Amino acid sequence: MPERAVIIDQAMSGTTQTIEAKWWHRWFKTPGELHRLGVAGINARNARYLLPNNPRRLYGLVDDKLQTKALAEREEISVPETYAVVRTPRDANKLVNSLKGRDAFVVKPTRGSGGKGVLVIDGRKGENFHKPSGVEWTGEDVRHHVSNILAGLFSLGGQRDSALVEYRVWPAAVLTKMSYQGAPDVRVVMLHGYPIMAMLRAATKESDGRANLHQGALGIGIDLATGRTIRAVHYGKPLTKHPDLGSHLIGVQIPEWDKILEIAVTCHEMTGLGYLGVDVMIDEKLGPLMIEVNARPGLAIQMANGVGLKRRLEPVEKQHILEPGAGIFEKIAYSKENFAAGG
Amino acid sequence: MSARWKLAIAVLVLIFLGGGVAAYKARTLGVPFWRGEHVEDWLVEARVSFLATGKRVKARLSLPTQALGQKNNQESGSLGYHYNLEKESGEYTAIWASEHRDESQALYFRVRIPDGGGRGGESLSAEAPELGMVGLPGTLGEAAESIVNRAKSVSADPDSLFVALFDQIQSDVSSQEVVLVKRHYEKDYQSNATIRMGIDLLEMAGVPSRISYGVRLEEELGRQTPVPLVEYYDGAYWKVRDANDPGAVLDGRRMFVWHRGGGPLLEVTGGESSRAVFTVAKERIPLASLTDLRESPFFISTILGLPLSERAVFRYIVLIPLGAFVVVVMRNIVGIPTLGTFMPVLLALALLEIPPARGLTMFTFLTAAGLWFRFLLSRLNLLVVPRVAACVVIVTLLMMVMSVVSYRMGLPGGVQITLFPMIILAWTIERMSLIWEEEGKTSAITQVGGSLVVAVMAYLFMRIPQIRYWAFYFPELLLVLLAGILLIGRYTGYRLSEFIRFRSFGDA
Repeated sequence: MPERAVIIDQAMSGTTQTIEAKWWHRWFKTPGELHRLGVAGINARNARYLLPNNPRRLYGLVDDKLQTKALAEREEISVPETYAVVRTPRDANKLVNSLKGRDAFVVKPTRGSGGKGVLVIDGRKGENFHKPSGVEWTGEDVRHHVSNILAGLFSLGGQRDSALVEYRVWPAAVLTKMSYQGAPDVRVVMLHGYPIMAMLRAATKESDGRANLHQGALGIGIDLATGRTIRAVHYGKPLTKHPDLGSHLIGVQIPEWDKILEIAVTCHEMTGLGYLGVDVMIDEKLGPLMIEVNARPGLAIQMANGVGLKRRLEPVEKQHILEPGAGIFEKIAYSKENFAAGG
Repeated sequence: MSARWKLAIAVLVLIFLGGGVAAYKARTLGVPFWRGEHVEDWLVEARVSFLATGKRVKARLSLPTQALGQKNNQESGSLGYHYNLEKESGEYTAIWASEHRDESQALYFRVRIPDGGGRGGESLSAEAPELGMVGLPGTLGEAAESIVNRAKSVSADPDSLFVALFDQIQSDVSSQEVVLVKRHYEKDYQSNATIRMGIDLLEMAGVPSRISYGVRLEEELGRQTPVPLVEYYDGAYWKVRDANDPGAVLDGRRMFVWHRGGGPLLEVTGGESSRAVFTVAKERIPLASLTDLRESPFFISTILGLPLSERAVFRYIVLIPLGAFVVVVMRNIVGIPTLGTFMPVLLALALLEIPPARGLTMFTFLTAAGLWFRFLLSRLNLLVVPRVAACVVIVTLLMMVMSVVSYRMGLPGGVQITLFPMIILAWTIERMSLIWEEEGKTSAITQVGGSLVVAVMAYLFMRIPQIRYWAFYFPELLLVLLAGILLIGRYTGYRLSEFIRFRSFGDA
């Protein structure tokens, strides 16, 4: 669609364009204002980025975590070690026995999304397991959770599912300071393999250890060039300190930033999805581990960064047409150069 | 060719096709494009059905005399039957005949009765007819005699006798005699027992009377069986009254008297299990253009070419696309979250059948109760499928309890629950409880609330008389609606809700 090129140039010219504060911003923003800020709406995301770039047949690769992990291991991307896969109720009965010797682990549905049905076990107390919140679960409780996963309670559309038991990530110390109980993860959104935006998602008391923004988790925007946090939002409202922990959220350096970007872009190459989000957790000892690939990343990331997605998606569309054969490092370099915060 | 051009072409073709056919109908055939208030005739259609036994078949349907005066206002439908109209001493009968017929047969007779015209319930002057002989044996005869005498003692003329008699028969606290006689008639006549009993008692009291059949002028009834009425002679005129409302003169706006004169309504030889059912519909377009329209090719006449009883179904079906359109607008342009895509359309259709205030109260109450029970069940740690099934069972029981309670309290509306809303309810509770667990209660409540709002909007939209008129008489306009939906499908602008969602975007 060549007629779009003109618009892209206009969008490029004013990267730091802002709008005047108006009384009505307390209630709403006008479509003209949102357009000037380059905000992408759901319709635009679906019709312009998701539908043309993500063929339906590829969704299976990322909706099933087992397939995603298998692909990632082939590409030598680090992922949390798999301890067990539970497919039948018989496996579920044997699970607790087979976990002897593992003090900490995570149980998740292979087809779940948005952290649904994820059970984190931090350690043991006698026969029982305990969760990060301190609540104790018996072996029977764990087994029941697993059979709920198998019955499809947490999967899309309630279809039968299997449960994945894997390594419990111990987040790097800088990150635990920013999150209430739950492990924070980094999400990188990409178009055609060019990193567009990144954010750290940190749990709050309100979000109950989950990293979902609409359940009250914090979205913390990250500068693509440096890996430093630049802005934090809670339900879309900016803030600088964690509401429960009081820790500073801005200006924090995310460890091993370049490796995170590399993992993200490799995930694009291995899945073939044009528009996707990659979730990465950073382990204290093992470094960045790829957790999940999302074929329908949401729009909250632009709130966390304070930048409209279109500001970055439109130049990337053009760049992709100009240089269709760009490699991983060229793409990362392009994004770092063009999408640096405040640049 | 790019997707954008394909879309543009598809949209243009749809608009031209739909708009063109509609324009042709409006201009050339003279079908009024705007729903006027002036024509509001009724179409009454009788559908005769029976099982042919393989022999020669002959069916006689008695017809309403009054309505047959006009030209062109009647027609009969029957494939391969010889049809003729017989007139005998002022009474019309439709006769269908055919050789060797097998299996189930359907014959139609349709008549158009003009707005404000005669409804067949007028008093007819006549010579005094002969009284029939009523022979009731022994004690029954004595009981009947005493009912008649009691009625006679409080009445002065045939009219008041009629009222007094039927008041006794219909009364909640019936006397011994009434119960006794009624039981005798119930053996012979089943559903028509009170009517037959009343007629015989009138005759015993010296008032000649006979059975007559009417059709209720209510579109919502769908296929209805004829309503038995009583015709009696007051000394100078034959009068028709409804035995269920003996004191009132028959209301011509609500009842059309199809058959008078006491003869049989329907006679079929060569067939079994014969019955006549009626369908009524308001007809808003003039007779002349309707005739033209029916003779047009099928894609122009569309549903108007169907028999009335088949057509009645489409009164709701043509509304579904309108509801779907509202959902598309509310979701993709306004941005209201809903539970499932088309659940609001189904709910809106249910609201068309049940008064909305009651429907919404019922919906909210039953969903809340169903959810509450579901959470009780979740303590038992059941697996998903059995839990949802248990929930459905509980909702069914709740609906029964609710119906019974509201009936006992004298609110008959509670009983109006049909199968249709039942399915929607069970399904909503299932979806809602899954979302409740997966995404939390806020999400579940917003989505259900959103669905209710969208359903009410769709209901209000589907209720606009002009919109319904277009959907029914100009169904080709649905192609234009389709073009609109396709366009919205490529709408990449903001949703209204996003103006609020992103209100603090870029704030420091």
